Amino acid sequence: MGIVKETLDSLVITLKNLARKPVTVQYPRERRTMPERFRGVFALTTNPETGEENCIGCRLCQNICPSQIITVIPEKREKRSYAKDFTLDMNACIFCGLCVQVCPTDAIVMVRANDEVGYSREDLFLTKEKLLANEKKYQDLISPMTGSVLRNMQTPPRPAPRPRPKPQPKPEEKKE
Amino acid sequence: MKWLLVAFWSVVILSVALLIAAYMIWWERKFAGRMQRRIGPYWVGYPHGWLQSIADAIKILRKEDIIPKNADKWVYNIAPFLFMVPPMFLFAVFPFSKTWVVADLNVGLLYVLAVSSLGVFGVMMAGWGSHNKYALLSAMRYVSQMISYEVPLVLSALVPVVLTGSMNLGAITNAQKGLWFALWPVVGWVAFVVFLLATLAEGNRAPFDIPEAESELIGGFAVEYSGWKFAMFYVGEYVHLLAVSILASVLFLGGWRGPLLPPLLWLFIKTVFMYSVLLWIRWSFVRLRVDQLMVFNWKVLVPVSVVDLLLAALWVVLR
Repeated sequence: MGIVKETLDSLVITLKNLARKPVTVQYPRERRTMPERFRGVFALTTNPETGEENCIGCRLCQNICPSQIITVIPEKREKRSYAKDFTLDMNACIFCGLCVQVCPTDAIVMVRANDEVGYSREDLFLTKEKLLANEKKYQDLISPMTGSVLRNMQTPPRPAPRPRPKPQPKPEEKKE
Repeated sequence: MKWLLVAFWSVVILSVALLIAAYMIWWERKFAGRMQRRIGPYWVGYPHGWLQSIADAIKILRKEDIIPKNADKWVYNIAPFLFMVPPMFLFAVFPFSKTWVVADLNVGLLYVLAVSSLGVFGVMMAGWGSHNKYALLSAMRYVSQMISYEVPLVLSALVPVVLTGSMNLGAITNAQKGLWFALWPVVGWVAFVVFLLATLAEGNRAPFDIPEAESELIGGFAVEYSGWKFAMFYVGEYVHLLAVSILASVLFLGGWRGPLLPPLLWLFIKTVFMYSVLLWIRWSFVRLRVDQLMVFNWKVLVPVSVVDLLLAALWVVLR
């Protein structure tokens, strides 16, 4: 009579679920917090004290990007270099996060938001202004996983080098 | 002037039945959602999306009415009416309270069983008229399922008749003054369970919904229908379910009888309970195969209900 038991079991399971609380998140009104390492849309950061852009226009992100969607035009000014123009075409982005990983100044970061959408392709083509504005727009959602953090995770700091053995005097060859 | 009164009450009851059918759809969506830990319709209408069915009805009535090029137009167009109207006839004989019944037939149950099987013609015509292989297959499955499951349905519905000695639904209700037939030891329990399962199959509900079988036959006999004609099939199914839920509560749960509350409310509570049980079964099981369906009917339900009917008859004779 196994079939009878199984039949009753499935009825009991649905009845149990009926008494449990729904897990629905009413999406546009409520939002689920994304995990810490969620990879979403991008933002360019600025120095909170001076308000200067962090990007130095080194083109590391442009070179590592697998889909080749980042274009950086560097510009040399008196103290250091800047990015004269920085564009990122989200239409082809694969969200690998390599650009964030290589950034030496933590200038480009990802945002823990999964709902960057647009009505046209131009909406998803991020210019430098949009990227800088994203920092303000997604203030609390900026991922803590900046380039330096990620690099430290991948290559943890090496243990202190062992003291080198002192060079031994060469044992004198026996002359015969 | 008696016929005018009958016409008036028929219109009232049919309108209320259609409204209730709309809210049965809403209740099913809420109930199914809760079983899957969802909420169900929520935003259309303030408390818990109570306008959802109305919104859906308005939407479906605005859809284009498509008639396939090769369809047999007469048959195709009549089919939705033949499917939806017979279940509505059933409300004529249900006793809603001690005196409130539109037509107090002394062969009420016979009428109910006869009329409720008329829906088969609508389905067969829909399947044939659509000129679509899925619709035809589905209609054939539906007819074979209906005819098979009518046997245990009738046999289990006969148990209350045997115990009461009358086919009048009002008399059957009155006979349950002391104890509901569903609570009668063994005889009543078995008849109730068999009636419930046969009802599920008659109403074309999962786990017996092979005529509809979305994954194999797309939408079943209603594939080619759109707009208000599809809505008629859809609503017809729920009107049938409502009628069958009322019938089950009249036959086995004592109909309008109950303490304190008014009779109509008691019947309503019992009907909602019966409908919820049907939903509970629907959302717990997967669809049966065609051969499993037939095996379950002819090898389990029919013998059990025959033996049960004989036991009931024996009990009446020996009493």
